[in-house]
Amino acid sequence: MPDEKTSGPGEYVVQMKQITKIYANGAAANRGVDFNLRRGEIHALMGENGAGKSTLMKMLFGLEQPTSGEIFVNGEKLVLSSPSVAIAHGIGMVHQHFMLVPSLSVAENMVLGMVPHKSGIFIDKAKAVELTRAYSEKFNLHVDPEAKVMDIPVGMKQKVEILKALVRGARILIMDEPTAVLTTQETAELFVELKNLKKQGYTIVFISHKLNEIMEITDRLTIMRKGKSMGVYNTKDVTKEEISRLMVGRDVVLSLQKDKAVPGDTVLRVRHLEYINEWNKKMLNDISFDVRRGEILGIAGVEGNGQKELVDMLFNFNTPNAGSASVNGKSILGLPQQKIRELGVALVPEDRMLYGIASGASIEENVISDRSGEKRFNKGPLFNMKAIHAEADRLIKEYTVLCKSRSQQVGMLSGGNIQKVVVAREFSNHPILILADQPTRGIDVGATEFIRKKLVELSRSGIAVLLVSADLNEVMELSDSLIVMHNGSIAAYFEDTAGLTDEIMGEYMLGLKKQSAEEVRRVCHDQET
Amino acid sequence: MTRKREIRFIIIRSLVAICIALLVATLLIFISAGGDTFHEKLEATGEALRQMLIGPLFRMSKKKGTSFELKRLADILAAMIPTIFTGLSVCIMFSANQFNLGAEGGIMLGAFVSAMVAIYVPMPAGLHAVVAVLIGGAVVAILMLLPALLKTKLSVSEMVCSLMLNYIIMYVIKFLMNTYLADKSRGQIMSYPFRETSAIAPIVNNTTFSGAKLTWGFVVAIVAVILCGLFMYRSRWGYAIRMIGINQAFAGYSGMKVGSVIVLSQVLGGFLAGAGGGVEMLGRYTSFSWSALPGYGWTGITIAILASNNPYMVPLAAFFMAYLSKGCDLMATYAKVPAQLIDIIQGVIFLFFAAEQFLAKYRQKLVVKSAEEEIARLNLNKEG
Repeated sequence: MPDEKTSGPGEYVVQMKQITKIYANGAAANRGVDFNLRRGEIHALMGENGAGKSTLMKMLFGLEQPTSGEIFVNGEKLVLSSPSVAIAHGIGMVHQHFMLVPSLSVAENMVLGMVPHKSGIFIDKAKAVELTRAYSEKFNLHVDPEAKVMDIPVGMKQKVEILKALVRGARILIMDEPTAVLTTQETAELFVELKNLKKQGYTIVFISHKLNEIMEITDRLTIMRKGKSMGVYNTKDVTKEEISRLMVGRDVVLSLQKDKAVPGDTVLRVRHLEYINEWNKKMLNDISFDVRRGEILGIAGVEGNGQKELVDMLFNFNTPNAGSASVNGKSILGLPQQKIRELGVALVPEDRMLYGIASGASIEENVISDRSGEKRFNKGPLFNMKAIHAEADRLIKEYTVLCKSRSQQVGMLSGGNIQKVVVAREFSNHPILILADQPTRGIDVGATEFIRKKLVELSRSGIAVLLVSADLNEVMELSDSLIVMHNGSIAAYFEDTAGLTDEIMGEYMLGLKKQSAEEVRRVCHDQET
Repeated sequence: MTRKREIRFIIIRSLVAICIALLVATLLIFISAGGDTFHEKLEATGEALRQMLIGPLFRMSKKKGTSFELKRLADILAAMIPTIFTGLSVCIMFSANQFNLGAEGGIMLGAFVSAMVAIYVPMPAGLHAVVAVLIGGAVVAILMLLPALLKTKLSVSEMVCSLMLNYIIMYVIKFLMNTYLADKSRGQIMSYPFRETSAIAPIVNNTTFSGAKLTWGFVVAIVAVILCGLFMYRSRWGYAIRMIGINQAFAGYSGMKVGSVIVLSQVLGGFLAGAGGGVEMLGRYTSFSWSALPGYGWTGITIAILASNNPYMVPLAAFFMAYLSKGCDLMATYAKVPAQLIDIIQGVIFLFFAAEQFLAKYRQKLVVKSAEEEIARLNLNKEG
């Protein structure tokens, strides 16, 4: 219930003015963003991954500090130096990945950090349970106070998170993609609860890129793209198509010289892949496609629509529930990574710090990790250090890795140079299939250009490339043909990327449109199965 | 940071760490020193410190003054033999991020098995010791399959498993000794004497060296250091062990056989500990009489930490530990510092030395941070 109808600063519970955030690695996540919240509204914060919405909210919750700009809460200028300061000013956050202790009960989680005591020593469990019950009833968020968090379903965990924020006095709730982990019924339930909170005068920030949900529940929305705000709108005044156009779009196109692809035989053949995750959510739904020699097949889509799961299956980080995948006729599902590599598959992993490198080891040690056992690098039981030095120096030169020497620690390099080390290894051991998962995310323009050129060059030399990228610019520029993933399925297949526009892509990416099964099936180039 | 500055930094920091440690030790000694007046106490403290710091190598007498003594150096070097082996053993296991604590039981079992071969299997001189030591190492290597395979197949903590294994080994050996193997003609529980063919000879056959038990075992230990260094830094298996230790997910993604390498690291570690036990037993003793864990395995852990898991640094760390322990012994004997305090002082010195290693990590973070800031500045300049 908006209790202040007047215009001027009093109208807003939160005002963020000209916020700029530059991370230590040089990435500018927010550039001059204005953001405000009216009391008692549900406000959507929309944008693709990497648009800067999480960063903006982290600053409002005190997890990050802005490089410049001002934050006002209830008209008072504040420095939110930590989450506890934000909580003290009535700001709460419900994280996408729950911050709960699984082995404790719901009530115990509720009172973490503010535990009620009996005679000053013992934890008063009864009081914690009572408190949980009271809040649970007051806000109509039904949880079982005595159940262990590990035993309750995801939807209830989320309620616990919301209650946790409310118990701590939050009047403004930031919800980071709250529906990403929920089933349809749980989502419906959540919306009822959020509307209920709104009625009681609570303000909610709803981070999401699901158009239908936004239209259903929010009052206003702020759209972000590439670290900038694209404007604030009343939800009832905009159409889904307009939102899609504002959200998905490209910078000035850096055109890339690219000959027409001459696709050869099928290298990677994926059929009917299905995967249901641990929360019983179908993440991959009947995925079938082919990647042929000499072509780049792009997979576009808003992140979280099954791309990560797909790559995980192809490199055996996970096993699908059904379906098949083969490289040159040999099944790769469930094979050890060593065997997959022997078949000529290379992977540029999405999480480069976890899988891509050993940050404490030298550049040299990082570029030979997939080939250290090969004959050319060994002399009897020992390494042939000369050959290894030569290989490292060659790769550093060919991939223009900016470093002091081959023995420099990889962790000391910049993001772009770390990624160059990864691609130097992955591209150089005679692969026949390259899986490139977000190959240029978060790295500088120079390295990005270099890696894109290299991918095109390799594909034209007869290598099959599967490019997964949330960067629309990248998939549309690099790919010869393109599939769009939405909600675990292939929503569209475009044989030729020429003539494709951002608007068309946006509609498929956000699920406004979907091609027929026949159209999608064209990506399987042998039609028998 | 340049390489030169880096080295200078390390030297300065080590000196500072040692100075602080000595300061704290001095304070403790002063508090417990005998004497009624401040002056007497001060004198006693000075004497104790002298014993601890230079006593391990120099004989101090009022008449002849301070003079270097070869025998004392030989003592220290001989004391390093078993701890070099356990230090190497722990280095290899910890490098793979496997916190296997079995070096302690391993060295006891290796010593026991080698002793049995030395007693019951007749063989020509020269060959006898070699075979006995190798069998000792092999038995412990096989035993280490237990924590290693439990870890890789069932995710059982190798730390708990190997720790418990130490006590099982100790009690099984005690049981065997008491029940079957003891020489009943002796006044205490000890085995029959080893065959003379099995003895490991002193490096130089004079009273100084044979008295100190500085045997060819020391040379073997140094050879083991070089082999381990080559293995860790110049072979594909050592490389795989180190990469798994740094980032296991990366190693798996790169196609390394993570499970096998984890097993290999522990089996090798077991072999080194076992062989070290054999070398120590046949070099120093003429019959087996250990009735408790010898403590070399624990010292090995300390050494590996001091050496940052680098085999080449193990002899230095082992020397430091042997020197310190000898110095503290002398202090207890000659300077009337209560024996209990010795352990405290040893602990304090080690604490500051290990803390220096923690500082190294902290410094590492600082370097990364400053590099990142540099990049951020550069990027900003580019944008602006």
